[in-house]
Amino acid sequence: MDEMMVETLCLKLESQLDCACEYYTGIQNDTTLVIPPDRIADVIMLLDEDMNGIHLSTITAQQRENHPDEIEVMYHFYLKFGFSLLTSIPCKDPKLPSIVSIIPGADFYEREVAEMFGVEFIGRSETPRLLLPEDWDQGPPFVKNEVKDG
Amino acid sequence: MIEGLLNLLFFPGMAFQVICALSFEWLDRKLLALFQRRVGPPWYQPLADMIKLFSKEDLLPKGVNDRVAGLLPIVSLASVLTAGLYIPVAGFSPSAFEGDLIVILFLMSVPTLAYYLAGILSIGIYSVLGGGRSLLQYFSYEVPFLIALSGPAIMAGSWSIEGIIRSQYLLGPFIIYQPLGFILAIVGLIGKLKRDPLDIPSASSEVVGGSLTEYTGTKLALWHLAMNVQAVVGIFLLINLFLGWTKLANPIVAVIVFVFECLILAAVLSATSAVFARLRIDQLAGMGWRILVPLALAQLAMIILMGV
Amino acid sequence: MAKISIPIGPQHPLLKEPLSMKVDISGEKVYGASLRLGYVHRGIERLAQQRNYVQNVHLIERICGICSHIHTTTYCHAVESLLKIEVPLRAHYLRALMCELERIHSHLLWLGILAKHVGLETIFMYTWHDRELALDIMEEITGGRVLHAANQIGGVRFDLDKDHIAMIHRTVDKLHNKLDRLLDVIENEPTLIARTRGVAPVSTELIKKYCVVGPVARASNVDVDMRRDNPLPPYDQLSFSVVTFQEGDALARTRVRAYEIRESIYLCEQILEDIPDGPVSTRVPRKVPEGEVIIRSEAPRGELFYYVRSDGTDKPARLKIRTPTLAALCLLPVQMSEIQVADIPVVLAGVDLCVACADR
Repeated sequence: MDEMMVETLCLKLESQLDCACEYYTGIQNDTTLVIPPDRIADVIMLLDEDMNGIHLSTITAQQRENHPDEIEVMYHFYLKFGFSLLTSIPCKDPKLPSIVSIIPGADFYEREVAEMFGVEFIGRSETPRLLLPEDWDQGPPFVKNEVKDG
Repeated sequence: MIEGLLNLLFFPGMAFQVICALSFEWLDRKLLALFQRRVGPPWYQPLADMIKLFSKEDLLPKGVNDRVAGLLPIVSLASVLTAGLYIPVAGFSPSAFEGDLIVILFLMSVPTLAYYLAGILSIGIYSVLGGGRSLLQYFSYEVPFLIALSGPAIMAGSWSIEGIIRSQYLLGPFIIYQPLGFILAIVGLIGKLKRDPLDIPSASSEVVGGSLTEYTGTKLALWHLAMNVQAVVGIFLLINLFLGWTKLANPIVAVIVFVFECLILAAVLSATSAVFARLRIDQLAGMGWRILVPLALAQLAMIILMGV
Repeated sequence: MAKISIPIGPQHPLLKEPLSMKVDISGEKVYGASLRLGYVHRGIERLAQQRNYVQNVHLIERICGICSHIHTTTYCHAVESLLKIEVPLRAHYLRALMCELERIHSHLLWLGILAKHVGLETIFMYTWHDRELALDIMEEITGGRVLHAANQIGGVRFDLDKDHIAMIHRTVDKLHNKLDRLLDVIENEPTLIARTRGVAPVSTELIKKYCVVGPVARASNVDVDMRRDNPLPPYDQLSFSVVTFQEGDALARTRVRAYEIRESIYLCEQILEDIPDGPVSTRVPRKVPEGEVIIRSEAPRGELFYYVRSDGTDKPARLKIRTPTLAALCLLPVQMSEIQVADIPVVLAGVDLCVACADR
């Protein structure tokens, strides 16, 4: 049932948004689609309208060892089964469209990714710190080539 | 003159009232603990707390007028101690005079005003909020309280507590004729003492400590003492006005009956503070004006009709 | 009246853990609030990358004191999926028993805190006394009341014998009786109901937009429970009902949690009946093969999310945790408009804050 739903979704994405989508099979317990970073907001808006409200579990960011100059950002949803959208942005210019206007609950998750990885979310009025103190001046803690690995 | 001084300092003046206040605090805390399935403090705990508070540093925020802030608890304590002087204890009332009920009710309202001023003076946000709430609460419970307490005066035809007691000696305790008035007087007393469920001005989960958030040391000890003496004076007042038939022939029996009645009322106060949750200020105002005042007026009407 | 901003936290009688909220009020009305977290941020996710998988079990247990077991259970499930090993069924049942006991003690704790905040200290004393029964069971079987060290990768570190099972049956029966009395108070005590009915109602749409999880969502008619929707073993073999209410106000949130205690007691009894014999753990290799996994489970406060990525070494390459309190805190500034100052404790209690979980 999940495969059918995801296939229909893929078809819709290709037809309505002209957005290529490929499967990523690396994550167990989850169906993951790879989406280009500039289309993320449109895809999520389509999903939200289609399913009449989707549940965002969290937004994860990470750096893979074999792509050290890229930050990978994953949006994890739960629609009766685990579903994620995966996108990659370059380390030198980490920008993503903000989805706070579509899903207000994404506020805290975007703020955490912004302060831990230095990602800039476009479309937000401000991105205040969530967990790090105001006077933290040592750069995003998770980005490997900026902070000394302890 | 010597007798007057002894009355003032020992019985029924300062020493007696302070001892009663500390005993009441212990009784209250012990009963509350028993209701909550705990052990509770030993008998000397209130005295120990007071002595310990006297030894603490006396701090106030910058900009607070130290002298006025120190005067307020002293004024509260002085007014409730003076009120206690005129209340008969087990029938023994050395300083009674006609109209002393009104003087006592006035003196017992002074601590509320002082509490409000203390909150405003302390400048801190929580103190100001607590002070404002205490005045709001005052307007909700004081009117039914006064109406309920004027019932015995009207029935006895006298504004002196001594006169009310003499009238009860003839007619029987007034609680039989005005049970509603007694209940309303208890509710009013709970509000005046700012006890649970009406401890809205000092609700620790909302305004931390209310007006007394910034007080420490000797000043705080005097505030606590003033509140406990106010409780004791309030209990004596209610017992005399509604159950005050202790001017019996035998003074020993009179003392025993009086003490017993006071203990029952103290237990009722502890029980209500254990059983009920705190009301919101708007719920209190609603209850005060929509339920308590009409009931008090109805009780007054019944008394007047009975007298006619 | 002038608008002032009162600070709630980082230290306040309302908060058990530090959190900073600035609430705008005017008189007795609240207009809004702004939130600041991070006072207990320990950098668990970064620390986990520097420790091996076995050390991380102990690190993760210390994220939170109240829901420590569910964190380690979820983490161990994740690592066991990456290792592709089969954990004995008895271990799953024992893990579930501890999870349900933890849910019982967490909800009883919360009930006491709510009662204390509304001024009903008696109920606070009674619920915390009854909570000791659940903590006694946990201490008897694992040795710890708050931090149990019960889980290991590949199974659990404790086992139950006949005496333990008899003791747990007796204590759970006692808990059941005490719970009936507590439910009676919640349904019938007029001052408690007056303080919580109609306070800060949250609509279903708002819950869905802010992606709130757990009892707060279930109180607004959102029927989601990871134990039923995405069950980890043995929940696929156990039967229980998911408690939901319609109103979405503070009273509904109270009732959801109170009735969930009863469901957890039924689950404990089922687990003790159905638990199979067998070993309680298996051997696991030290190095975890490459892979990524997402595990969702139901903590006492809602959906707990773990993402673990392994790069073939004995240390995780990425560990991402999303605790349910973080999801509930999103909604807090929205709930704090159009209420009274006296309702702030009730609203805060309804969220069931576990700031250590949110901050990690």
